[in-house]
Amino acid sequence: MRNKVVIKTQISLVTQYGIEYAVHVITDHFGNLISKVCECLLRRGPLTRSNLKRYTELSDSQIKNCLLVLIQHNCVQAFAVEQTGGFGEAPRFVTQYLALFNNIVHRMRFSKFMKIVSQEFDGECLDLLEGLFEHGRLTLKQMFDRAKSAEKEGKPVTLDYVQEILLKLVTARYVERCPAPEPVLAPKDEAPAKKRGPKEIEEPKTIEQEVLEAAVPVDGIRFSVLDPDVDGEKKDIKPSSMTAREKRKYDALESDEFGTTATVVYRANFEEFVRCLRYKACIDNVRARLDDGAATVLSAMLDATRNEETEVRAKRSASLSLSSIYEEVIKTEAGRNMTLEHLRASLTELGTPPLVKVSDDSYSIEFEKIIELAQLEEMESIVLKRYGQDAYRIFRLLSREGRLMETEKIADVTFVEKKETPKILYKLWKDDYLHMEKLVLAAARQTQFMLWKVQKQNLWKHILDEMFHATLNLRQRLAYELDQEKELLKLPADKRTGALNNRNIRLNKIRKILQSSQMKLDDSIMLFYDF
Amino acid sequence: MSQKRKRSDAKSPVNSLTDHERILYNLIRSKQDMGIWSRDMKQETNLPDTIVNKSLKSLQTKNLIKEVVNIHSKGRKHFMAAEFEPSKELSGGAWYADGKLDMDFIKIVRKQCVKHIVRLKVATFEGISDALKRSGIFKEDLTKQQIEEILRAMVLDKEIMELKSNGSGVFNNIPVGKVCYKCVKEGGSVSEPRIGAFASIPCGVCPQISLCTPDGIISPKTCVYYTKWLEF
Repeated sequence: MRNKVVIKTQISLVTQYGIEYAVHVITDHFGNLISKVCECLLRRGPLTRSNLKRYTELSDSQIKNCLLVLIQHNCVQAFAVEQTGGFGEAPRFVTQYLALFNNIVHRMRFSKFMKIVSQEFDGECLDLLEGLFEHGRLTLKQMFDRAKSAEKEGKPVTLDYVQEILLKLVTARYVERCPAPEPVLAPKDEAPAKKRGPKEIEEPKTIEQEVLEAAVPVDGIRFSVLDPDVDGEKKDIKPSSMTAREKRKYDALESDEFGTTATVVYRANFEEFVRCLRYKACIDNVRARLDDGAATVLSAMLDATRNEETEVRAKRSASLSLSSIYEEVIKTEAGRNMTLEHLRASLTELGTPPLVKVSDDSYSIEFEKIIELAQLEEMESIVLKRYGQDAYRIFRLLSREGRLMETEKIADVTFVEKKETPKILYKLWKDDYLHMEKLVLAAARQTQFMLWKVQKQNLWKHILDEMFHATLNLRQRLAYELDQEKELLKLPADKRTGALNNRNIRLNKIRKILQSSQMKLDDSIMLFYDF
Repeated sequence: MSQKRKRSDAKSPVNSLTDHERILYNLIRSKQDMGIWSRDMKQETNLPDTIVNKSLKSLQTKNLIKEVVNIHSKGRKHFMAAEFEPSKELSGGAWYADGKLDMDFIKIVRKQCVKHIVRLKVATFEGISDALKRSGIFKEDLTKQQIEEILRAMVLDKEIMELKSNGSGVFNNIPVGKVCYKCVKEGGSVSEPRIGAFASIPCGVCPQISLCTPDGIISPKTCVYYTKWLEF
């Protein structure tokens, strides 16, 4: 029997316009040739080089070079799949290339990522990180060379110093070692897994998740820096807490895949940045929904549980006791004036709806709930703007109820005219916001009822697609505006006087509003896609 | 079928009805508080239009029946025996007057609720209900259901929010876990809901976004909404 690796071509939330947007980003940063290869991978899923050649009609060397650039910038990951050979032939490994949609879209977020680091670290760290963003991945030596070329007088740059900076960023998990260049995907056993009573049903992993899981080294290696001076002995500066299993894997990796320091490559760890932004979104949302006190408590809880978190999209945090939360709260400036009673009150506030859940006197953050409410708020404001106040009230009712409701009942609860209600519901249904079911009762007289509910999954995906579309539009409009004024932009600043100056001011305003809208919209995209 | 009214009073208008009028009147009365549409009467009685119309007029002048509004189909002539009040299905319920949502009344009730919630800072259902009763503004006391309905709609409008008492601070004297109401904005002013990032750009409210393409007839380059947005 042939063992096969089940390949799903796309992760569920990557939408049509998501791909368009990703292709646009790549075209903008690397030109048409590379974007052609990338688009082919995004649309068709993982491909071998020969298939890429067939679909793109580019030459072998062109494809190779494009892939190298994309891999360098962490937009493509290679992996090998074992294929059983024909009769009497040994099995062979086939290399495939997978476009990493998330990493491509993250390219537009570098400024956001830099901002996070700038709140914690100084300029040197930012310079190093900027280098990683610019070049995708770098070895320590390359980082050193880069720092050296920007060396200021009186401040000589040494290799030790660069390494120290790198270590800071690696320890904070903002930088990581690059994943294995070409992990081998184990063939799937087709025999069903052992049945051991009822178990939580897990969604099948996408090919992207499988490949990344196989490629990313264990944490002990992922966040460690090799000391370049002691090549032979392989003395590391690394977190000491490594299990025996991790140590074995580490040693194995050291000897073959990673080799010596010269070949150890580092890159920015997008996962950590996404986590930070997720936390920030949670805190901001709680602040807007409740008050500063609740936000301070939540922020302290996040600080205390951060290290125990393993997944970026964790559903809930680790549990904390009241006293350990208080200990963390008073560490912060905002929390210093909080009494224990104040803390208790804030925790109760956070309890309905359960943004923080209590069980057995310990508290845990319900990330999923906070994110869900934030998504709902964004959705509601779209409904309000597109369909008006009555539709907004109806939509809020249906999304809160989460079940089918009958037209008449909806009209009663929302105080919308009974004749208007079906019209609004129909409009929302036509645009895919609602799901409708007809119920026919055959009594003395046949009566028909219409039942409605919010189509959450489809609607969320649909809105995400529209948001990608809108981001693309913002970028295209900006490019168009800049193109319209290209003559003006060519003029030196001192020549832009009078009417020209007014045009220049106008252009700057447009640029500002389009760019800031894009950043804000991207926050919402992250809310729906990454968090 | 309907029962005949037993009345000794010979002057009662019921006794002076023609046969046609009586048939119609009995039919209308049998429908009680649901009433009946004139066309359905024609169908059920098999009487010609002219006779039905004439009889209805006569019954109306004798004050035996009345015309009522059916909120589902305001254009239809709907009749009911004089002694009945239109059912909730027909009238729309307590918040309807003459077949229309009584917006003025609803506004007054909402305003009163907000007023009391602001004064009490956080208020329980009973607190609001008592305050409304004591204010004496309404001729008839609002029912428990009416107040509940109003509060629920106000929560949906994000004018007020529901929260649970923690027994201390503003919740003093309110049992722990009891549902309370609080105004979303200080002072009870109606707050515009926070507009999300998508809804604040033209594409977020654009009805034509599905037809918009980079070089199509509708495109971000030529979009009129954009042009208006970027007018300085």
